Amino acid sequence: MRKSAKKERISDVVGKEVTRRSFLKGVGTLGLGLAATSSMNRLAFAQPKGPIKLSFWTWQNPQQHAWIQKRVKLFMEKNKGIQIDWQYFTFTDLGKKISVGYATGTAPEGFATGTWLMPTWLSRNMIAPLDIKLLGYSSLQSFVNDYPKAFIDGAVKNDKVYGYPVYVYGFLNYLNTKQFKEAKLDPEKDQPKTWEELGEIARKLAIKKGNKFERQGFKFAMHAPMWTMVQFNPILLQCGGSWFDKSGKCTVNSNAGVRAMTIRASIIRKYQAEDPADSIATSPLPMMDFLKERVSMFSTHCIPIPAVKSQNEKMAAEGYYRPVQMPGVDPNKRYPTAYGFNFVVNINASKEKQEALHDLYRFIMSDLVDCWKDTGPFTPARKSGWADDPQVKSYPHIDEIIKARDNGALLPETPVVNELSDIMHQTVQKVTLENADIKKALDEAAVQVDKATEEFKNQK
Amino acid sequence: MGKRIATFWSLEWLGLLPLAAFTFLIVLPIVWMISTSFQSGEKMYQLTTEWIPSVFHWENYPNGLSRAAFPRFFLNSFIISAAVMIGNLIFCTLAGYGLSKYRFRGDKILLLLILSTLMLPMEVTLVPTFLIIRKLNWLNTYQGIFAPLLIDAFGIFLMRQFMLRIPTDYIEAARIDGAGEFKILWKIIIPQCKPAIATMAIFSFRDSWDQFIWPLVVVSVDEYRTYPLGLVRFGEDYGNPPTEQMAIAVLATIPVFLIFWILQRSLRTGFTMSGLKG
Amino acid sequence: MLRIGRAQISVSRWQLGYESRIQLWGILFILPTILFFMIFKYGPMLWAIYLSFTGYDIVTEPKFIGLNNYINIFKDPIFLQALNNTLIYIMGSTIAITVLGLGLALIINTGIKASRFFMSSMFLTNIMPILAVCLVWRFLFHPYGLVNQFLSPLGLGRIDWLTNSYLALPAIIIVTAWRFAPYFMVVFLAGLLAVPKEIYEAADIDGVTPISRFLRITLPMISPIVFFVVVVSALLCARIFLMPFIITGGGPGGATRVLSMLIYETGFSYLKMGRAAAISVILFLIMMVFTILQIRFFSKTEEY
Repeated sequence: MRKSAKKERISDVVGKEVTRRSFLKGVGTLGLGLAATSSMNRLAFAQPKGPIKLSFWTWQNPQQHAWIQKRVKLFMEKNKGIQIDWQYFTFTDLGKKISVGYATGTAPEGFATGTWLMPTWLSRNMIAPLDIKLLGYSSLQSFVNDYPKAFIDGAVKNDKVYGYPVYVYGFLNYLNTKQFKEAKLDPEKDQPKTWEELGEIARKLAIKKGNKFERQGFKFAMHAPMWTMVQFNPILLQCGGSWFDKSGKCTVNSNAGVRAMTIRASIIRKYQAEDPADSIATSPLPMMDFLKERVSMFSTHCIPIPAVKSQNEKMAAEGYYRPVQMPGVDPNKRYPTAYGFNFVVNINASKEKQEALHDLYRFIMSDLVDCWKDTGPFTPARKSGWADDPQVKSYPHIDEIIKARDNGALLPETPVVNELSDIMHQTVQKVTLENADIKKALDEAAVQVDKATEEFKNQK
Repeated sequence: MGKRIATFWSLEWLGLLPLAAFTFLIVLPIVWMISTSFQSGEKMYQLTTEWIPSVFHWENYPNGLSRAAFPRFFLNSFIISAAVMIGNLIFCTLAGYGLSKYRFRGDKILLLLILSTLMLPMEVTLVPTFLIIRKLNWLNTYQGIFAPLLIDAFGIFLMRQFMLRIPTDYIEAARIDGAGEFKILWKIIIPQCKPAIATMAIFSFRDSWDQFIWPLVVVSVDEYRTYPLGLVRFGEDYGNPPTEQMAIAVLATIPVFLIFWILQRSLRTGFTMSGLKG
Repeated sequence: MLRIGRAQISVSRWQLGYESRIQLWGILFILPTILFFMIFKYGPMLWAIYLSFTGYDIVTEPKFIGLNNYINIFKDPIFLQALNNTLIYIMGSTIAITVLGLGLALIINTGIKASRFFMSSMFLTNIMPILAVCLVWRFLFHPYGLVNQFLSPLGLGRIDWLTNSYLALPAIIIVTAWRFAPYFMVVFLAGLLAVPKEIYEAADIDGVTPISRFLRITLPMISPIVFFVVVVSALLCARIFLMPFIITGGGPGGATRVLSMLIYETGFSYLKMGRAAAISVILFLIMMVFTILQIRFFSKTEEY
């Protein structure tokens, strides 16, 4: 196909009278022109290309990575000239392998990353800007309209898009409807809309025998720093606080921050409906307490049915659980954190490989109903093209899940997001497990975060 | 004489019960692990333990093995550990002997230098070690994984300490008789160090069996993955019963235990100094 | 024991040449190890030391910043807390491991029936995969878990092992001792077996008490092994991080964060490899000092 295009072009450009020199000159300019036009004339997947080898690494989530693997295989079948070495790792291991990869020149050409890590890669110039036209969008605006704000804020910089969104989801408040009904509460009408209501209802639902909780009212998962961040972030924002001020100084210890942390600790301290030391949560199943019905309400991302089934067949079969929006400081402004994963491209990858990756990514995300079938209720990031499908619409409480995604707030954008998470995690532990003074704990946290930011700047 | 036999006999048996009880306590978590490996998925994370499963889910074992290329992973782990064990046996014995029996100036400094390799955590040396392996083109190969582990200061130190006890006049006598250094090592020293050698073999096998971070960094293909890499990915997976992960963990214990069982027989015989008195 | 060694370097020229020839063999035996270490150990170690004077985020070139890392580290309360934790952890674990390991080996060595079987069973604690270990102990130490259930007759009430900042580190020490005492028990056993029976028989004839026999005969005879265990278990504990990492994640509030964990987090999570290298160097120096002290202390007991 290329050869014939060339022939035509020569006679077009150079004209009937072809001297050797002008021919060669023409070919030269043609070469450039051809490169330019070929990328614009590109028909996505069916076109055969020269043999290209790519490595593509993603994170582990039992449904999601299996689906991605399926799509990658399908892509390779349709594009015989592209060979993809697909690997998956647990999320922490993925980060390690990628850093070591960049350090040693063995990083993959394409990989998936959490949206909150975008500043980490961007600040070190590790990922390449994406060509949204290759992803099927005619303009930046059409791209922006198709994804939740939380994602756009994090991945679009200076009108350039750096990540291709795969999943974005928001946290929800899961209610055990059976326990609600037993306590004469209506899960729909009586769902907690403010944090005070949450505390009150939790207090009603908690069952205590002496010093021991037979059932806790509400729990915040405390097994991992990222979860602590995701859960504390909206409370801070709802109280009118912010993580950093314009100069980059950490402001988590402001009055708003103290108020937010007080709310966070209130279920334990004020309403006595939670025991932070008593949890059987694990890394693969942070919602274990909820699944074993040791707690009536729990804050988590959407829970896939297989997860429920694996630990509580009865609950899965009878379906006595449902998600609602997290509470808010203002009952009309209830929102969680929204975060997710996107595909990025290694800036060191060759142009050819980068383009092949665009094709791959676009293909993977081209059938979102299929995505939903395999990986629901994890919500794909894209707004259009799947939510109206009857299979999607019939999923229980899908509207709440999508609402959480769309309304979700962004996690703080900082290259020291890991330090921040660890510091906040320890602060929350001090406050909840050791009854530390909130203002003091937050002051210490702010100082440490500022130190971390300072050192990051010094290392550049 | 008779009195001694009587006390000896009663100690043997009297000591049995407390030792058994104590061992049982120590071993309780392992009993838990084995018992859980036969349970169904939702019984894994419960605070009230069912020590003897009401239903034995034998299928956890074949199912667990089939979730990833575990047979291959185990084979890889075995090859690596065997290589490391052999490497340690050869070189640590040599080095330990050299350090213990040859007094030269600065041998304590050398000991310190060798021990210093145990003092730096692996995380910081990960990248340069990786670069070295890459330069040798050994990424995603067996030698790439076991090469940095081939000689361990632990083994050298162990052999040195054991060999210190061997009286040098033994060696001197053999030298005077005209025996070469290697022959001395092979015929005199090593037979008297059997317990130490067995210990070193066990430990070097076991330490490399468990290696995680290094294989994680050096290997990116299933062909060469070791079992801890598979086990970790397994753990993040809620789709399959977590008790299958316990089954794999139990299986992982077996090869090392076998090696230990075989080698601990050497921990039976001490040695006597017959013929050297005076 | 006969004294030899230095006493044999005598005046005769023939004997001097003989000595140095022997010494050459000694060096030859050690040579492969030295070469290997140069490539695979000392090279990376020197690189790590160099890194400690740079700012290095793994993905871009290291930038020389002199002593900044070290200055910042010592001003950092998180580092100081981790340093404190590490010292307590190393000391506590080493003592527990040495005492328990030696005790167990002594018991097994008395020839109690089936003691070998028990020894092998106990060794299992060391070969159980670390993930399973952490999972089990997380549950054992749960406020309503087995450990508390066993202790309940003592009337201490509920003990929050892993969520109380004073108990979390002792809990990790307990797990460490549990895992490594049997490991070193095997080493001690090998050492005890190397003590010739004749010496015990001689003491028995003299009518020595068991305790005196232990202190005056056994202990000195196995002192090189005790030296080994103390040094190696300390070095091991300095590098352990998976166990506290998975069981408590360094919490609560950093109470179980040890230096090795801080190094891992700083290097791979925060991508501040230069700083991580600096912390490693500090840890290295601490262990070096400790080992030198041990060598001094035990060198009196190295007789030939």
